[in-house]
Amino acid sequence: MRLLKFGVAGLAGILALTACGQGSATKEAAAPDGKSVVRYMNFSANDGHEKDLTAIVNAFQTANPNITVQVETVPYANYFTKLQTAVAGGTAADAFELNYENFVTYASNGSLAELKSVDSSVYKKSLYDAFTSDGKQYGVPESFSNVVLFYNKALFKQAGVAEPTASWTWKDEQAAAAKLTNKGSKVWGDYQPVSYNEFYKVLAQNGGSFLNAERTEATFNSPEGVEAAKFLVEKVGKTMPTEADGAGTPDFDSKLFKSGKLAMWHTGIWMFSPMADAPFDWDVVVEPGNTRKASAMFVNGLVVNAASKNAEAAQKWISFLASSDDTTKTRLATSWELPPVADEAKLAPYLDQPKPANREAVFTALDEPVLPPVIERQQEMQDLVTAELTSAAAGRKTVEKALADAQTKVNGLLKK
Amino acid sequence: MRRFLLYAAVLVGAAVMLFPFLWTVITSITPEGSLADGPTLVVDNPTLDAYRTLLDAMPIWRILANSLLIAIASTVFQLVTGSMAAYGFARLNFPLKNVIFGCYLATLMVPLQVLVVPLFIEMKTLNLQDTYFALLAPTIASAFGVFLLRQAVTAVPAELDEAATIDGAGHLRIFTTIVLPLIRPALATVAVFAFMGSWNSFLWPLVVIRSPEFMTLPLGLATLQGQFTTQWDVVMAGSVVSIVPIAIVYLLAQRHIIAGVAHTGIK
Amino acid sequence: MGWKKLGWVLFFLLPSAIPLFVFTLVPMVSSLWVSLHKWNLISPMEWAGLDNYTNLLTDPMTRRVFLHTLIYVAGYLPLVYAGGLGLALALNQRLKGRAFLRATYFLPVVTSWVVVALVWKWLLNPANGLVNQLLGAIGLSGPGWWTDPQWALPAVILSSAWKDLGFVMVILLAGLQSIPSDVYEAATVDGASAWQRFWRITLPLLSPSTFFVVVISLINGFQVFDQVYVMTGGGPAGSSQVVVGQIYDLTFRYGRAGEASALSWILFALILVITVIQIRGQRKWVHYA
Repeated sequence: MRLLKFGVAGLAGILALTACGQGSATKEAAAPDGKSVVRYMNFSANDGHEKDLTAIVNAFQTANPNITVQVETVPYANYFTKLQTAVAGGTAADAFELNYENFVTYASNGSLAELKSVDSSVYKKSLYDAFTSDGKQYGVPESFSNVVLFYNKALFKQAGVAEPTASWTWKDEQAAAAKLTNKGSKVWGDYQPVSYNEFYKVLAQNGGSFLNAERTEATFNSPEGVEAAKFLVEKVGKTMPTEADGAGTPDFDSKLFKSGKLAMWHTGIWMFSPMADAPFDWDVVVEPGNTRKASAMFVNGLVVNAASKNAEAAQKWISFLASSDDTTKTRLATSWELPPVADEAKLAPYLDQPKPANREAVFTALDEPVLPPVIERQQEMQDLVTAELTSAAAGRKTVEKALADAQTKVNGLLKK
Repeated sequence: MRRFLLYAAVLVGAAVMLFPFLWTVITSITPEGSLADGPTLVVDNPTLDAYRTLLDAMPIWRILANSLLIAIASTVFQLVTGSMAAYGFARLNFPLKNVIFGCYLATLMVPLQVLVVPLFIEMKTLNLQDTYFALLAPTIASAFGVFLLRQAVTAVPAELDEAATIDGAGHLRIFTTIVLPLIRPALATVAVFAFMGSWNSFLWPLVVIRSPEFMTLPLGLATLQGQFTTQWDVVMAGSVVSIVPIAIVYLLAQRHIIAGVAHTGIK
Repeated sequence: MGWKKLGWVLFFLLPSAIPLFVFTLVPMVSSLWVSLHKWNLISPMEWAGLDNYTNLLTDPMTRRVFLHTLIYVAGYLPLVYAGGLGLALALNQRLKGRAFLRATYFLPVVTSWVVVALVWKWLLNPANGLVNQLLGAIGLSGPGWWTDPQWALPAVILSSAWKDLGFVMVILLAGLQSIPSDVYEAATVDGASAWQRFWRITLPLLSPSTFFVVVISLINGFQVFDQVYVMTGGGPAGSSQVVVGQIYDLTFRYGRAGEASALSWILFALILVITVIQIRGQRKWVHYA
């Protein structure tokens, strides 16, 4: 009996304790007159750049004393789960971050507020235009990064192979990779994931196109497409580690490169800082093309929630976060993703940083960029293209069959 | 000889069970701990850097306190609500009893992944999103606990109740003085699983919590995985931090699971 | 039934019934409603009637994910029950360091799947994993495990059974504790062998715990998700995708929450039928005190 009374009292206490503590992030409504609170959700500050984002927020709040920015940072892997649930429940932040691939889905579903009177001149035009949908501006570019070819200078020297140059083609890469691969000492010549992201890029490097101009039909199952897919898939096991060698396990490629066992590596410029302390000399170069050059570019954008009550303040904040000099300086100083500003003089400090020596390549690559092909059912398309290519790489299907199957399935997604 | 074989088998098995945990600990103290190369059993320069990084990366004490509060509350609630329901189903007779018990079990049959969005909208409607209560709510009662405890109550000989009823005891007294002490092993088991369920829960806290001051441990550990790279030594340090409290809870509960024999007094 | 009796029923049941109703049943019913709509979470729902159900029933992917889930359950349950029972019996004996051993076997249960999956991916690495090296040492060539569509699901089954052994062990240990020792003593006096005691006493008296383990493992097994998600991601080429994996992808990655809800109700129906059959059948083999 005493036990029961004790229990009941305890439960009542816990209930009271847990029910009354509503979080600071939810108690926003009570902002004083003339002040507004902008809630901002993002993924790109997670794991390393939280403090840099705080610095930008502070600079913004100093310049706009009437606006308080409340930041919520969610890891990329869980970001969209959380964002969708919040949109469904009507609690999404006033402003949030979207990568270009997901932008189309949100814009075409009416979740985003149209941005009015944006000063577009501060942004690099191609990046700004990426966030237009049906002739309306639904976002501003926040940052971008691209993919280049990393290479281990020591391994090239050791094997007596000439280092890659900007004029390299696939053939040069293949020949060098073959010479650099030494299965006895577990050194691999090349690494390029077999995935959607790599495929649309090599397709562009081979002069093919993924979708038709109206984005109503997939066109990648072409002679160019088959050749591009073969270029990618036939590396596996020959000059590039297979899944059975460990490819696909977390951070496999970065560890392999850093341990000096990988000669060439197709990856993003976000790997500059993690590789800064690699115990050997390495550099980067624009990726080789076949019939033409094409470098993958990934863009993050900033958007305003269509349901936001603080749309004006929110737009002010995202404009600041996208294009202010404070942001540009912070991004460059901390090796975050690159700012999307039009004025290239502002990017100069980036080139002055030490490793890798050939930072120019990052900007040269931008001359011939390729953005991911985007449809409304983006994730499904990416998953199925990757799955088909993986099947081909594992030898379960021919490349031709895999591409034909992928094309049929993507067309199915475009119809629904 | 048989005993020796038994020992050998059990010890080999234990090594296999212990191995991943050991690997976790070792990776967490290896400088630049990596998973790509497989585990090593000897660490050249053991370091606590990963744990320091963990301390810097997040308000770990606050996060641990949140997780503990919710896990303990959820355990206490499930023990109380579960044992009462178990008594009801095992000892009382009422119409539709099996159907109602079926409804309890049915709550276990729809995956959380599909309930998360409706539940979130419900919480928002009740204006309870982003509170401690929201974290706790789905684990106040669990059909798993009710079921496990019902099995235990059913195993308590009915003669004991009957004797007490003759002595004039009511349901409440039978429940608290006869049934509860006799189902201690099952209560301890439920406590372990309730604590663990809450402690490891990820999807629901992810969705319902917005304010950093309510962050729980699995959410905190998830922030260690970057979009492009992950510091595995820090992730592993986080895993060690998350395993140790449940291991302690289990060790505490285990005494009761064993002690159960001495106290049952069933002759 | 009198008021007083009803009062007792409510007193004992309401503390669990109210939260289960509000925080589980209500969302369940909402998801039933969602299953009749086309919904991508970010734009308003559109009525779809039974379209989601008919689409799922004609989609070959549905059959595949159910088949994979059934294979998982069929492989997992016997392994984990036999292993857990063996462990419980072994660790119920008076061994030195018994408490430590029990805790060791329980450790994997509390370790998160993220870590366990990493370890198992390494152990089952086709090229240099420990398991294939051991198989190689006795002259067998190991399979491709999670890189091979034939072996991805067995790899998941193996690691799941390994992780959950401790769970079954704990439940069955608690059950073994409630078997009075004098029953064994009497049987020994009657000259029953250890084997006979196991079949005639241990198993029957353990049946309530066994019943619990089987029912719960089936309910949970049909909803297997975490281990598949972190170990194989449903691959290679969808060869290990399970029902809840598909539900997760449909809801949170593919913006098809309506179909996800419909799929989960088809799964619900299946689990319900299996559970009801077990509850009906328990009279034949479960012995309550």
